[in-house]
Amino acid sequence: MKITICIGSSCHLKGSRQIVEELQRLVAEKGLKDKIELAGKFCMGNCQNGVCVTVDEEPFSLRPEDTKSFFENDVLPRLK
Amino acid sequence: MNDLWIETGSISMNKHGETLCGDKVELAGGGDEDLTLVLADGLGSGVKANILSTLTSKILCTMISGGIPLEECVSTIASTLPVCSVRKVAYSTFTIIRILDNKTARIIQFDNPATIVLRKGELFDYPRVTRVISGKTIWESTFPIELDDVFIAMSDGAEYAGVGDLMNFGWTRDSIADYAMANYLPENSAKFTAGLIIDECDRLYGGSPGDDTTVAVVRVRGRHPVNLVVGPPEHKEDDVRMMNLFFGKEGTKIVCGGTTSNVVSRYLGQPIVASLDYHDPDVPPISRIKGVDLTTEGVITLSKVLTYAEDFLDQAKLAPAWSTQKDGASLIARELFENATDVNFFVGRAINPAHQNPNLPITFGIKQQLITSLADCLKKMGKHVRLSYF
Repeated sequence: MKITICIGSSCHLKGSRQIVEELQRLVAEKGLKDKIELAGKFCMGNCQNGVCVTVDEEPFSLRPEDTKSFFENDVLPRLK
Repeated sequence: MNDLWIETGSISMNKHGETLCGDKVELAGGGDEDLTLVLADGLGSGVKANILSTLTSKILCTMISGGIPLEECVSTIASTLPVCSVRKVAYSTFTIIRILDNKTARIIQFDNPATIVLRKGELFDYPRVTRVISGKTIWESTFPIELDDVFIAMSDGAEYAGVGDLMNFGWTRDSIADYAMANYLPENSAKFTAGLIIDECDRLYGGSPGDDTTVAVVRVRGRHPVNLVVGPPEHKEDDVRMMNLFFGKEGTKIVCGGTTSNVVSRYLGQPIVASLDYHDPDVPPISRIKGVDLTTEGVITLSKVLTYAEDFLDQAKLAPAWSTQKDGASLIARELFENATDVNFFVGRAINPAHQNPNLPITFGIKQQLITSLADCLKKMGKHVRLSYF
């Protein structure tokens, strides 16, 4: 599975760094480094929403404080 | 005209406890034009020395660069400088370095430590003739310049560093020359070289300089154009025209901005490979596109570059950060401040709707103002700057 986080200007200001760091921490904590690939992307063209995140091709819109519930509710179930 | 470029950089350090510097560096020209650099050191310290050196450097620089014969310039100074009420003399030492037609160096020196010239990193012993003008013994030298020549002029505060404290006789011209040779790299900028020597003087003075100390460096280098594109064009149909002009230019290519990178990626048919490495928490990570030297995020990164540029022109306190860090802003700063002689900005005027959000902590309307301010800073650094809007 590949999770892509937008690191363009708008998303950066809305907290993409915190989301990247939180996801990196969660992936390491659950020992899922082999299963989940984290990647950055410049501007997904959906700046008004954002922070833009895609799980494989499916788009999500996150705030830093939602990262943990996003990981538990949207990422982990897809791994099964 | 050849392909050489004349770069200058100087740093002054005030005598401990003084708010004014008694040394003054005045410049005219540079780049691919004739250069006149004057370093004057006024007698004493504080406000008197400051007035003497300001008058001396300004008068000499204006007259010499205007082509007035040296005799006339020196006698003008002798009859203009105010006489010190304590010492009953009017006195300021000076060094003049001229580079003419990008071919010939002319050095005129009066009572400052002899200018050090490095050629291919080694001490170059240039010819000198002495001449007496208005009772002052003046050294004159004329010789052809070569690529990578470095001229280091200094006030006597540099030689006095460490006198009687760390060393018996201070830091002599020979040891300063040794230090400059030991730290020489062809890519060191003029300002960097001046900073190296000033830092060492400061260390030898134990952080409280006993005299005003100034180092002015002239460096003969090759030209290095840098092209930076930021923002997509106002009209989408201009994408290809903008890209053709950008990639048609010689030199380093820097792409700033997410949407801009997408335009470049489409044009080159190469994917954008983004990284997630936050070398500086404030600056978004850089990306890679094959065929582009550096790809970064836009406004946030460039705001940081502008901060670095304004600081570089002032106290250069942030220079240690950008000269070593690996984030996008530091990489751009190194390329623009240290390497570039000519900078071409390709500025797209498209408005990003997401940037009109009043909740964002910086106003994105400032993008063009940001580029204009950065361009002004680069001009002050002596670079040729060109702005094209799309």
